[in-house]
Amino acid sequence: MNRIIEFENITKEFKILNRREGLKGSIKDLVSKNYSVIRAVNDISLSIGKGEIVGYLGPNGAGKSTTIKMMTGVLEPTSGTIAVNGKIPYKNRCQNARNIGVVFGQRTQLWWALPMIESLKILKDIYQVSDEAYKSQLALYESIINVKPLYNKTVREMSLGQRTLCDILAAFLHNPSVIFLDEPTIGLDVSMKSKIRHLIKELNARQKTTVILTTHDIGDVDALCERIIIIDKGSMIYDDTAGNLKKYFGAYRTLKLKIKGEYILSDIIQALELRFLNQTSMVVRTSEEWISILSKEDEAPIMEILMFMQGFILINDIKIEEINTEDIIKKIYEGNI
Amino acid sequence: MNKFLTLIKSGILVTLRFRLGVFVTIIGNLIYLIIVYFLWRSIYLSSGNNVLNGMTFEDTMIYLVLASSMFTLLESYLTWRMHEDIQSGKIILDLIKPMGYQLYKSLGLIGEMLFKLVTTLLPTFIVVYFLSNFHIQLGINLIFFFLSMIIGIVISLCIDFLVGTICLYTQSIWGVNMIKEVLVLLLSGAVIPLNFFPQPLKNITMYLPFQAIYNAPLQQLLNTELSIYTRFSSMGIQLIWLVALLLICKVFWWKSLRIITVNGG
Repeated sequence: MNRIIEFENITKEFKILNRREGLKGSIKDLVSKNYSVIRAVNDISLSIGKGEIVGYLGPNGAGKSTTIKMMTGVLEPTSGTIAVNGKIPYKNRCQNARNIGVVFGQRTQLWWALPMIESLKILKDIYQVSDEAYKSQLALYESIINVKPLYNKTVREMSLGQRTLCDILAAFLHNPSVIFLDEPTIGLDVSMKSKIRHLIKELNARQKTTVILTTHDIGDVDALCERIIIIDKGSMIYDDTAGNLKKYFGAYRTLKLKIKGEYILSDIIQALELRFLNQTSMVVRTSEEWISILSKEDEAPIMEILMFMQGFILINDIKIEEINTEDIIKKIYEGNI
Repeated sequence: MNKFLTLIKSGILVTLRFRLGVFVTIIGNLIYLIIVYFLWRSIYLSSGNNVLNGMTFEDTMIYLVLASSMFTLLESYLTWRMHEDIQSGKIILDLIKPMGYQLYKSLGLIGEMLFKLVTTLLPTFIVVYFLSNFHIQLGINLIFFFLSMIIGIVISLCIDFLVGTICLYTQSIWGVNMIKEVLVLLLSGAVIPLNFFPQPLKNITMYLPFQAIYNAPLQQLLNTELSIYTRFSSMGIQLIWLVALLLICKVFWWKSLRIITVNGG
């Protein structure tokens, strides 16, 4: 397969001034040489092929954006080699820019005061897209979503969802080989989210664009990604298919119970621990009126838990859920992998 | 070539969108000119002379009116915009355009300036020309003025970029930018004609880049006694500064970019 992005032992360190407190400290800081080094990305190696959609996950501050900035050529790694389309991005930033597109969920690259179609025309010329390519690209957009009503709207007048939609269209305009989507669905409602997922999926399928997607929304991952990379505290902790991740945790299921009347959570946990002595990974939580019990099937079968619980409390309603990716990530963070 | 024109056009389009802003600028400019008029009239009245430092009241007013409309033209807020882009991290979106950041930013600004040239400087020039009873010479000096002004504009942009780049280090631009604005306004002859400076100070300013922004083009336009030789040597000094600042600007930006850490995200 065609390799689009290659990372080899990439490390990125930032030098940060240690600030002192108070006015006196701030004045001392003016001449301070007291720096500390923060390692934002720690020895990451990865390789991404053409047409893949990769979910790039991790908690806030894990180093996701730093990695993406290195891919775009804005940051230079402290050590390691990096290649995007076979070129070193930070050395050929302008050239690299022709082959990539970027969408930051919270920022827009469109001209704030201009109608969207004008922005597209400007971008067309900046990226030197030919007239035919531009026309066919617009035709493609129109075939996927109903974008025409947005053409004459200025970005100022758009809702956040419409703006994100347009930003994605703008990023795909010059038909780049890689697209970076940084939290594209942040702050959007459900129907807009699904619209945007549909758009990304279609564009990826038709243009064979590699998509790298960072998100905190597991819905995005479930809908789009075949492969998942998880990064935490600068280190890569998972790089495999989304399916594998699920298979690994497939044995887990969550039993949700709605209980009639008052109950004390610690009592329930205690009772469960006494009943299932050999289990190791049961998690009991409450959310609103539901109690959810996450358990591994071969240690504490759901049916037995249900029957046991029924013995001493009144159950109004039950739900059984497969483990979702959110729990998986949490489990990885907790060190259970 | 096409992308350059498009970006210039984008600047014009954006300015057109804020048509109210255009009117407000013109009104603000008018108020400034009224103050200038009374200030300088009282200066001339209290001195009891018709000619101060080789300039009549009329000369001074023509100079200052044109200087103020040039100021409107040159006021790009570039340093503030860079500051905002850097603080919010939005600069990353400009950095990943397939062209240099400075060129990319400048082209949009040039579009805005072209627009202001037609809406502010040109009308002001025509009004001043008629009000002053055709005091301004129309001849070869117009060509010198125009060329000299273009060099001045680029020099002004370079200074703005330099100060904006400092923002990468300081994260805050207030103080630095205030110093820059005061220095430029004073030493360029934008608010006080350089003729009014004491001779030693005037000599120094002649070798600084600031006078190349306002004083040099306005002298080319208004000073009828300039010999062709002085005209060319004035433009020569401008060109030397232009090249020097372009180089410094490029190198400084290029060096700074290597240690850039874009905030946010």
